[in-house]
Amino acid sequence: MMLRASSTANDLELDLDVVRGDLQESDAIQHAPELAALVDASVNDLASLPSARSALVEATDEATMLDAAAVVANFEMMTRIADGTGTRHPADRLESMSELSGSMGLGDFASARA
Amino acid sequence: MTKTPTSLIESSHEATDLHIRSDLTAAHAHVWEKLAAPGTWWNGSERLAVAEVVRVALGDFDPVPPWDSASKSGRLPNDSVISSELQDAVYRLAVHAGTLTEGWYQKMRDATGVTPQQWVEIIEVTISVASVLRFAQLAGIDSPDFPEPLQGHPTRQTQPSKPAKHHWVPVVHLEDSTPELAPFYDGLPALAPVIRALSSVPAAMDTLFTLGDAQYIPMREMVDLNWTRGTLSRRQIELVAGRLSAHRECFY
Repeated sequence: MMLRASSTANDLELDLDVVRGDLQESDAIQHAPELAALVDASVNDLASLPSARSALVEATDEATMLDAAAVVANFEMMTRIADGTGTRHPADRLESMSELSGSMGLGDFASARA
Repeated sequence: MTKTPTSLIESSHEATDLHIRSDLTAAHAHVWEKLAAPGTWWNGSERLAVAEVVRVALGDFDPVPPWDSASKSGRLPNDSVISSELQDAVYRLAVHAGTLTEGWYQKMRDATGVTPQQWVEIIEVTISVASVLRFAQLAGIDSPDFPEPLQGHPTRQTQPSKPAKHHWVPVVHLEDSTPELAPFYDGLPALAPVIRALSSVPAAMDTLFTLGDAQYIPMREMVDLNWTRGTLSRRQIELVAGRLSAHRECFY
């Protein structure tokens, strides 16, 4: 996963609960709670999207909020490509991420294709 | 007067105090220009009919569950130029992509008669609409209208795609690259399976690269684990990407 790789490349410890867990501060990722809140609101609670957007702008700036929105849009694309085409990881990649996917519960997804 | 696809996107992006990057506006305009034009395997009206299902699906606050038919629920157009079976498949791709299985894919193809390449183009239309409309929603700007369908026939351009080990759909392997795929394949020693997934339809690859470069990271910068536009750091980008993918229950 690219998040782990980009943290490791900078000798930063990363708690991967930041990806699936409750909103939390992270030493490795600035403004993680505000970024995660924007994503969560866009998926689960559209009524709170304006406040999540404002909180991110307040913590960063408009350009950063817009780029975060663009990344969400991009992964609305990538997830549908992967799942619509049945894309799976090569065996060696699956092996290297087995501990990670196990600890994050990713193997429980219907889309987990070996 | 009918607005051009580009002007529909520009109107949406400019009707706000926000300063949206010009390359992002251009990328969305590019896929909007293609949205209702004849594609590789579907004509403009058919592509627009797929887009309409995606728009309804994305705006559905109480979605039809994956095991039910969206077309029978009465929330999809009943005068569509695509079949109700295909509408159901598109709706499920748009809302419940994480539930798709290879068995579903085979049954869907039997029920709809679509070829793998036609399905890849349907995915292309879906990702175009999902990208543009979801960005608008996240940014808090007006969603652009759809363009008018353009007359004309699909190109039916074939590629030397072959069955693939890492996909349900056939792909063009790097060693079989064609002039149409050269802009996406040349100079790369390898290509992630998810990028290769659309290679049987180069126009879909164009959509993927155009959107990915502007919305995420330019493909050729992907190896730079500290790449940034000066706003989000690479780790912030990947946090957003990972959290959204987890919400969508996308294992890949």
